[in-house]
Amino acid sequence: MNDKVVITGLGLICAIGGSADECFDNALAGKVGIKEVESVEHSACYAHIGGENNEFVTPDGEDRASALCVKAAKEAVADSGLDVSAAPSRVSVVIGSCVGGAVSIEKFYRDYVADPASAKGEDVLKMPISAIANNVALAFGAQGAVDNVANACAAGTMSISIAADLIRSGKADAVIAGGSDPMSSLAFSGFHALHALDSEPCRPFNKSKGIALGEGAGVLIVESYEHAKARGAKIYCEVLGSGVSSDAHHITAPSPDGEGMQAAMERSLANSGISAADVDYINAHGTGTPLNDSSELGAMLRVFGSEGKVSCSTTKSMVGHCLGAAGSVEAVMCVKAIERGMVPPTVGYTEEDIALMREKAGDFDFVPNKGKARGVEYVQSNNYAFGGNNASIIYAKEGAPRKLAQPNGERVFVTGFGIVSPLGNTAEQYAENVNSGASAARCGNCGDYISSVGKEDFDSVGIKLNFYRKLDKLSQMTCVSGKRALANAGIEVTDDNSKKIGIVAGTSDGPQTDIANFQKGIIEHGTQTGSAFLFPNTVYNAAPGYFSIAAGVKGYNVTLSNGAASGIAATAFASRVLRTTQNEAILAIGADEDSETVHMLYEKTGAIAAGMTPGDGAVTVVLERGSSADKRGAKKYAEVLGSGFAHCPSEFGRYGCADKLKEAISLALAESGVSAEDIGIVMTCSNGIKELSDAENAALADFAGAEKVNVRALCGECRAASGALGIAHAAMMLSGDIKGGRGDYALVLGASVGGSYNALVLKKA
Amino acid sequence: MNAKQQAVADRIADYLSENLRLPRENITYDIPLFGDGIGLDSVDSLEIIAGMDLLFGVSLIGAHDAVFRDIRTLSEYIVNNPDFKENIQ
Repeated sequence: MNDKVVITGLGLICAIGGSADECFDNALAGKVGIKEVESVEHSACYAHIGGENNEFVTPDGEDRASALCVKAAKEAVADSGLDVSAAPSRVSVVIGSCVGGAVSIEKFYRDYVADPASAKGEDVLKMPISAIANNVALAFGAQGAVDNVANACAAGTMSISIAADLIRSGKADAVIAGGSDPMSSLAFSGFHALHALDSEPCRPFNKSKGIALGEGAGVLIVESYEHAKARGAKIYCEVLGSGVSSDAHHITAPSPDGEGMQAAMERSLANSGISAADVDYINAHGTGTPLNDSSELGAMLRVFGSEGKVSCSTTKSMVGHCLGAAGSVEAVMCVKAIERGMVPPTVGYTEEDIALMREKAGDFDFVPNKGKARGVEYVQSNNYAFGGNNASIIYAKEGAPRKLAQPNGERVFVTGFGIVSPLGNTAEQYAENVNSGASAARCGNCGDYISSVGKEDFDSVGIKLNFYRKLDKLSQMTCVSGKRALANAGIEVTDDNSKKIGIVAGTSDGPQTDIANFQKGIIEHGTQTGSAFLFPNTVYNAAPGYFSIAAGVKGYNVTLSNGAASGIAATAFASRVLRTTQNEAILAIGADEDSETVHMLYEKTGAIAAGMTPGDGAVTVVLERGSSADKRGAKKYAEVLGSGFAHCPSEFGRYGCADKLKEAISLALAESGVSAEDIGIVMTCSNGIKELSDAENAALADFAGAEKVNVRALCGECRAASGALGIAHAAMMLSGDIKGGRGDYALVLGASVGGSYNALVLKKA
Repeated sequence: MNAKQQAVADRIADYLSENLRLPRENITYDIPLFGDGIGLDSVDSLEIIAGMDLLFGVSLIGAHDAVFRDIRTLSEYIVNNPDFKENIQ
């Protein structure tokens, strides 16, 4: 079993340097990269500082998030000596981000506010988080699974955990993994609105009143040990287990009791088979906000004690908070700490501060001001995010004793659905409308297929006005769909099971409407006027975050973003999570919204003129371990057998390489142990755009005998929601709830602009 | 409430409706904004502070909790503030 996963290359750019070595040397010396921000207009703000890398100029025509990431990836790939072209299908890319193309978003809406006609489609293609991993894959020719993790400030840690998982599940030999985020007016204005920026350089766990924003990208080559060994690669360290949890408390603030943080820390230790006493160094989240720091310190003291055996620092005190890149920037620091036997400091502590800290935390070692030499065998790196998402991961010196949690060998079943779609707002309504041939709701003026949720939906799922008024449409649809899925599956969330129910969400475009509302507001009125109300909604994981709060689910919580195929990727990945973590049920959600803004964006890219009709919705597929479903006597609609991913490195906005859809299908069939003739139902993914229809027709030559169904023909291109709807629809055909099923196996296809293709096989249960 | 204060109160109610996505008919002059009334929270209060500054030039930073009780107390504080400007926007 391929459970040994190692790091073989590092790349880093942030406020204190342009390479992993330069940044780490500067960190050890306690160099602070936080100074007056140059790239954001902040004259009327109360805070003016942040950690930029002003030496790095974004190349013309590129987006800063992608450019930073490609720069760090080049360093990491060169450092590792990995030859991507030797077996490109075995190299994956997983990148975390919070604000993604925020610099391009600002440019687009500046043009738009001045004159809507002058805003450019080429800038729209630089806006979504999806673009980043695709641009990295294009730069290196990677053709394995490509995805982005969009869990705001925890994304950079989750991306490495997911990379290790891809290797352990045999889907990749090497993964270019990390995170990237630029300095942006969006983030600066948003944290300013929340009064979460400190006007002085932050001093986490100390007297800090808020964060200093940073920017940068950290990239690591995560590789299977056998693969690294066979090519004689340098091995920095091993990636052990990780822990992910959800607070289900508040959309921006951590739970004051730090329970979720503690759960993530404890799980990463348990999944690595080590104890708290083994850990030598913790790279804490330590943002510098009073709320984070007090919750996190409490949680750390409970897990590690205050005896001072472990050293703990927060490198954000020097580089600022790099949001979705933070976990990966810090991962590079952690790996370097293991390599050199030196731990970086937390800076900004006076003698008086140190005495005060001792009162607060005993002998707990914050490594004040200067790095120090110490034995470093095991490191824990922790990050927490908006939406109440917590992530923790362990890195260890190669060969250090460990005992990784092993896959539980369980089968995974679909046991319920929540469907908010242009064909109805419940799974039952959807099935009835499909069976009766009803046509979907469409927008009179624009022709788009439109879902709508309202007061009666919220009333029926027990969500009150105080809660739902805060939600954008993406979050509204997600909350209704998620709550209805739990009800449809017969799952009642209780104190006993809440930590065993998780979420894996997929979205193509995230909350583009509230991003536009927020960004246009600050363009018109100034950075200092950002809306505290809207800002939480601008992160891609807000929708599942709100849902976790509404439903009280505290297990796994990850948001993937890679175009329309994200709904299928979420289901495939959730199935893997069920086999390797404590979670017994995972709600796999595909959601994307339509609006005047979203319609305009797709007009700008030319997708509508090319034949695509947008739609929107949120579809939740309840996935459950066999043992859990059996114990509850739950109805099983279908079993998830296997999945396949393939990527065609292409310009973002295009599909490319017809043969890659075929490759994804072959991989999914092989993992499922079925052949093309076994497949009775194919859920197709074409959306009216010729390039994709051609790829699909070519890939489906072997499936002449199967019933073909296209949910996009019924409900429009609802992107990630269409992917998840394809799975729900196929499962209901296999179970007989939707008529026209054939055979025992269904194949569900997904395609994303940028060239990612997914396939998933379901079996009648 | 005199005409000046009432105009301010109505403008605040419109602002809350628009920016905090509250049904306009729920926002009376006397309904408590926090707690058992409309149930606003700390993020909403930041939006109110920013909005009052934007609309009337009045800073509510450091203002006593009682000022935020309802639209009546807010509008009273605003019209009596030396920085108050009508029709900024």
